[in-house]
Amino acid sequence: MLISMASFSPPTRFSTTPSSHSKPHLSHKPFISLSPINRLFLLSTLKASASESGIGTSGSAAASVEVEPQVEQSAPEPPPPVPEKNDSAAGNNGSVAAVAEEVTLVSNFKDPRWVGGTWDLKQFQKNGETDWDAVIDAEVRRRKWLEDNPESSSNESPVVFDTSLIPWWAWIKRFHLPEAELLNGRAAMIGFFMAYLVDGLTGVGLVDQMSNFFCKTLLFIAVAGVLLIRKNEDLDNLKKLLEETTFYDKQWQATWQDENSSISKIE
Amino acid sequence: MNSMALKSFVGLRQVSPEKTHLTGQTKPITFRHRKVKIVAGKYSPLVSGRNLRVAVIGGGPAGGSAAETLAKGGIETFLIERKLDNCKPCGGAIPLCMVGEFDLPLDIIDRRVTKMKMISPSNVAVDIGQTLKPHEYIGMVRREVLDEYLRNRAKENGATIMNGLFLKMDIPKDKTSPYVLHYSSYDEKTGGVGEKRTLEVDAVIGADGANSRVAKSINAGDYEYAIAFQERIKIPDDKMVYYENLAEMYVGDDVSPDFYGWVFPKCDHVAVGTGTVTHKGDIKKFQVATRNRAKDKIQGGKIIRVEAHPIPEHPRPRRLSGRVALVGDAAGYVTKCSGEGIYFAAKSGRMCAEAIVEGSENGKKMVNEDDLRKYLKKWDQTYWPTYKVLDVLQKVFYRSNPAREAFVEMCADEYVQKMTFDSYLYKTVSPGNPLEDLKLAVNTIGSLVRANALRREMDKLNV
Repeated sequence: MLISMASFSPPTRFSTTPSSHSKPHLSHKPFISLSPINRLFLLSTLKASASESGIGTSGSAAASVEVEPQVEQSAPEPPPPVPEKNDSAAGNNGSVAAVAEEVTLVSNFKDPRWVGGTWDLKQFQKNGETDWDAVIDAEVRRRKWLEDNPESSSNESPVVFDTSLIPWWAWIKRFHLPEAELLNGRAAMIGFFMAYLVDGLTGVGLVDQMSNFFCKTLLFIAVAGVLLIRKNEDLDNLKKLLEETTFYDKQWQATWQDENSSISKIE
Repeated sequence: MNSMALKSFVGLRQVSPEKTHLTGQTKPITFRHRKVKIVAGKYSPLVSGRNLRVAVIGGGPAGGSAAETLAKGGIETFLIERKLDNCKPCGGAIPLCMVGEFDLPLDIIDRRVTKMKMISPSNVAVDIGQTLKPHEYIGMVRREVLDEYLRNRAKENGATIMNGLFLKMDIPKDKTSPYVLHYSSYDEKTGGVGEKRTLEVDAVIGADGANSRVAKSINAGDYEYAIAFQERIKIPDDKMVYYENLAEMYVGDDVSPDFYGWVFPKCDHVAVGTGTVTHKGDIKKFQVATRNRAKDKIQGGKIIRVEAHPIPEHPRPRRLSGRVALVGDAAGYVTKCSGEGIYFAAKSGRMCAEAIVEGSENGKKMVNEDDLRKYLKKWDQTYWPTYKVLDVLQKVFYRSNPAREAFVEMCADEYVQKMTFDSYLYKTVSPGNPLEDLKLAVNTIGSLVRANALRREMDKLNV
């Protein structure tokens, strides 16, 4: 414990100036989708909140010192084109260096139809009915936006929208039906071919196959297969999933393999 | 859902590998061990003129409770710890059952958390804990307080607490000669310099945490670890009111790609932190994101301490060798998903010590590897299902933003909350209601499908 404390304590971590300096850049791989403006924004938050905490507290203050020049470097760059909703955020970022304390971070997600933490369904009316497709589209866009601009949570304006508000048939209509044709067709073809094959090999007719347990199992496998493997990469994904589920078991069992090699059964 | 999962997981442990290995083993080895067995079983030698001596390396919850149990069982116990006032970076949450099982005084619990808030990537906040009964809570402790209390209790029971830094140990060739521990001792006489000393013991319990030297000296192998980063922030009193008995968990790709960000209330401040296995280099960025997500609630706070610590992801490949056993973080007993370790550390320490006490018949006889194996066997039997369930939960629900959204939606369900809290607070798994389980499964799959459908649309927006 002590050792780990030592090796992770702030001073050692921050003393390697060059590496910690370059880190934020290297580290952006998983966040490739972030636009440059966001990176700027992240850094400025760090700086903002670190300076809140008072200089010289500890590691985080040191970190902000490292980061500062970067903010200045990137600030003069002309802001890249951003979606309209982002405008106010960009404006904030420009002035962030000056007003570190009261950065009211980023405009929250704004949309006239987003009222009181949920989609105002009245505004989605079309021919007297709610246009659920439009609600789904709006929510997709909101989530996309949030992914790029994570928002502070707040107790005053909670988010109450829940995807289960959208009725199940709207989901089916939107996401399943376009694919259903393909799947049904595929299932029918495989089913026919299998029935043919079984008949050809065993001489059991189509009607008799229905009362046969083996054939029913085959049918089940075929349907499950059609549902699970829709594209070629699905096969790989399933394989990976299987490995993933057994990985932890192996890690736990490692110590028992050892036992088997060093001690044999007592009885 | 828990119970459903558990039923199928129990017994999955490793019954079959054991058998296949036995048959697959070459003859000479079996023979050699059979011989050893006879010696150990029939003539387990008495220790003459003294009691069995056991050293516990590390004075955390695992070491403290192990030393206490050993000392109570009549074994000559030495506990070696370098930093007796160590305040380890740690969430500090303990389940309710630990208070009873370890007989902890209520005044070491700083705060009683009765409400949890889970906040999804799209900021849907769900309150968990409405199902708690009035006397139920999650205790928040400071590690420096808890550790010291457990150590003192070990001392009262007769264990010798030594301020020292364990360096290495010599492993004996045969089954009865002592292990020789080398450590530098720090006491009033030696001061800050430390004096090299040795200690002869018959068995060793390694409770020295993630960077265990005991583990290194028995070649226990390494484990994957997550790094947890935490800032203790003193926030204004009016903001602290909100965190009076409430803890927050943030999930999302911004706070951590494979874990969660948290705000835990401490004695007079909050701990804000996050952890990750896969993107350790980005930890500072995640920390900033966590702070940003909690921004309004912690505004105006002062950071009073920054800390980071490795958290094991799975047990070491070898947790036992000869008369040396690992417990707690050193062995890797931290759950996935929740990242809980204090209770499991204390419990494993006690279980291991019990095995030694039993095997040595209260310190009269020499112990051997088989006695210690009993601890391992019992441990895996008791807790493997818990670990596995949490591993599955983490894999299913922390894998992506849509999955996290579904997770939060699922947690809004009262039945889920009841099941989670019951299994967390009491560490037992009560069988659920099959109908409710089924309903839950359907709802969860529904949430997952919806969230993933949205995600696919989001990806289309990208192109």
